[in-house]
Amino acid sequence: MAEARITYHGVGKRYGKLWALRKVDCAFHAGEVVMLIGPNASGKTTLVKSLLGLASPTEGHITVNGQVIGTDPAYRRSIGYMPQISQFPATLTIGQLLEMMADIRELRADEVEDSLVEELGLSAQLDKRLSTLSGGTKQKVSAVLALRSRPGILVMDEPTAGLDPVSSQRVLQRAAAVRDAGGTVLITSHLMEEVESLADRVAYLEDGNLKFLLPVQEILSSTGSTRLSEALPRMLESNALSHVL
Amino acid sequence: MLKVFKYTLIDLARNRFVLGYALLMLLVAQGLFALEGDPTKALLSLVQVVMALVPLIALVFTVVYMYDTLEFTQLLAVQPMRRSAILGGQLLALAAALLLAQAIGLGLPLLVHSPTVAALVLSLSGSALVLVFAALGALIALKQREKARGVGVALAIWFLFVLVYDALLMWGMFTLSDHPIEPFVVPLAGINPIDLARIMVMLQVDLAAMMGYSGAIYKNFFGSVGGTIVAALILALWVAVPVLFAFRVFRRKDL
Repeated sequence: MAEARITYHGVGKRYGKLWALRKVDCAFHAGEVVMLIGPNASGKTTLVKSLLGLASPTEGHITVNGQVIGTDPAYRRSIGYMPQISQFPATLTIGQLLEMMADIRELRADEVEDSLVEELGLSAQLDKRLSTLSGGTKQKVSAVLALRSRPGILVMDEPTAGLDPVSSQRVLQRAAAVRDAGGTVLITSHLMEEVESLADRVAYLEDGNLKFLLPVQEILSSTGSTRLSEALPRMLESNALSHVL
Repeated sequence: MLKVFKYTLIDLARNRFVLGYALLMLLVAQGLFALEGDPTKALLSLVQVVMALVPLIALVFTVVYMYDTLEFTQLLAVQPMRRSAILGGQLLALAAALLLAQAIGLGLPLLVHSPTVAALVLSLSGSALVLVFAALGALIALKQREKARGVGVALAIWFLFVLVYDALLMWGMFTLSDHPIEPFVVPLAGINPIDLARIMVMLQVDLAAMMGYSGAIYKNFFGSVGGTIVAALILALWVAVPVLFAFRVFRRKDL
């Protein structure tokens, strides 16, 4: 797998009069999982959408593997994306959807990683129409779509929302495997307990500003906590950020 | 683009609304031909139905479909493909599905009961209206963020073209009846694609005479080969302009 690296250079995004993202400078490296956290409307989604090409920055630019992302969509070949809301064409079957996306990505048979289909119990449901699936099953399909092209960059928006604990664990294990293979994984989640064991660094956003991007160990040691879910609230409440900002 | 077209068409082929549209048109057309003894009279009644119903269905269905598939469009937009390919594929599939439904619902009864030039022109005019209003629907859906607002704008546009425009035109012609307004009648008809389509069919059943002096002008102009080409070009513009704007909006849109 090619080394994946993402850099934000002074990226800002304005919707009307509202700045959803303000001059964000940061880099996400190969072989790491970064957890994006922050209150509602803090800019997490906009940060991710800017990378995916769903929103174009008002200022600044983003590079992926050293290339500035612009109108050429080729860079997205290395990206797998699992959105928070999974909505698919109603009358297609799971099998047709998988075929469609492989077709669009021009994946050869040997490039497709389909073991997750079996692991998540979707093999027997390939002929089912997408409109008949539960929210959780749609999330599983979404996870398969994000992971089956063996992406170098994996972006997951609330990946465990709606999934049963076993499936959540399997999806997160796959995310860890992407990291272990040298990929970059960005996860936004409110369920910190579920993803904290996976994270190498944590990015905290507030009002469109990137307040900090720190290794998990540094956050834990600065607060004297053993768990991120305890450390982060403590850190934010006690203003323990001041020494690291 | 062809990949998006192919799978969107597969999805639309089993869409209940599209199937319902084909069935509705089939029932209406069959019903009118069964009720009216004279196929020409049935054809004239069908013209009124087609001119009102086709724009409404093409407009509202396109708007609703585009909103309902927004999340999937986002998923397509993060794939390594250009946005123009996504929108192009979706629009082609929408147009193909609606045209196919119309060919079954309207084309088949016309072929069976009234295989005339007038019926052919009605079929072609109906198809042109599908394309015009699907294009307008796509533009509305891309410009308006909220679905309810988008549907509201679509209904307002349909109302404007079907009722308000004609009412204003009639009021203007009545008020200015003492003035030489005939030179303006042809361009004014061209502004409204529904009126233009209606005139093209009416000329084939020779009802222009019932439209008075304006009818004579219509017949003079649109009845000629040159006039028919102009009418086709105007309808093509009604498709091309909204589609071009839709591509422009979609290319820059934050999804």
